[in-house]
Amino acid sequence: MRKTLKIIGILALIGIIAAFLVYRFVYNKPHPDYEKEVAEYTLSAKEFYDEFKNQTVAANKKYTGKMIQVKGELDKVIQTDSLTIGVFVFSTGMFGNEGIRCTLLPKYNQKAKNLSTPANVSIKGLCTGYNDTDVIMEHCSFN
Amino acid sequence: MKKTLNLLLLLLLMASSVTAQRYITKNGYIRFFSSTPVEDIKAHNRQVQAALNSETGEVVFKVLMKSFSFKKALMQEHFNEKFVESDKYPNSTLKGKITNIDEIDFTKNGEYPAKVGGKLTIHGVTNSIKEEGTLTVEGGTVHAQAEFMVTVADYDIKIPSSVRENIAKEVKVTVDCKLKKFKK
Repeated sequence: MRKTLKIIGILALIGIIAAFLVYRFVYNKPHPDYEKEVAEYTLSAKEFYDEFKNQTVAANKKYTGKMIQVKGELDKVIQTDSLTIGVFVFSTGMFGNEGIRCTLLPKYNQKAKNLSTPANVSIKGLCTGYNDTDVIMEHCSFN
Repeated sequence: MKKTLNLLLLLLLMASSVTAQRYITKNGYIRFFSSTPVEDIKAHNRQVQAALNSETGEVVFKVLMKSFSFKKALMQEHFNEKFVESDKYPNSTLKGKITNIDEIDFTKNGEYPAKVGGKLTIHGVTNSIKEEGTLTVEGGTVHAQAEFMVTVADYDIKIPSSVRENIAKEVKVTVDCKLKKFKK
């Protein structure tokens, strides 16, 4: 009898621990630490943009949703109400400049503003896709 | 001579009206909100591309689905992988027209009600919509705001039964975009 109770107790404990682990690491798992994530692809900003512009479907498959590191000459840094964005310009279209727009992690905002553009940079971030004028990168950091 | 001058004037007018009629943003904001007794889910997107032609009333909104950010990483994963399948359908768009464009004076600051009719494409499915919002004209900017409901099933978005209780059948979409006059 006592043995059965002990087994039930242990099973219950395992159950509680498993539930906690699932809750903590699956249901409530944290967002990646984008600054520390390793880039899956490292390439020149121009190459990256051209791939999206010329082969959108293939580039989407290859890069969208992944950490990418791009290198090149950053043309300007702009500030919106809430975001600081580094912009690579490669062409001009209906909506003005077209290129890569990199939204920076807040801790890099000041560094971006201090850049005297055009400036050679290496930026890593999460590629979220191409909207027919710009490639969007988010959670970006300089490295 | 006079004819040439008139023609020149006409060309100038045309050129100025062409350049003065477009308002754009590349960082508009869209949020959606799903509320059920089990939980509330909110996602934000600050990478919305929008354009408005103040003469014809044509509007275009373009949204990258992977730019929606959620509080919980798992929800963001489910949203992209299972619900909207953003690998297959990376963009959502709204292409439409402000039907009462004549009632909006883009040269005079103020708040104007705007009626929009158009085609909304999400998850590769296009539906006609008719919604209302407001346009606030202030100097060279137009602040577009709207709130409307989107029925998830209309866009062939299937919610697995395990989370059916957690996700509303209709989600509230909030649009807040500050468009600037586009100068070449």
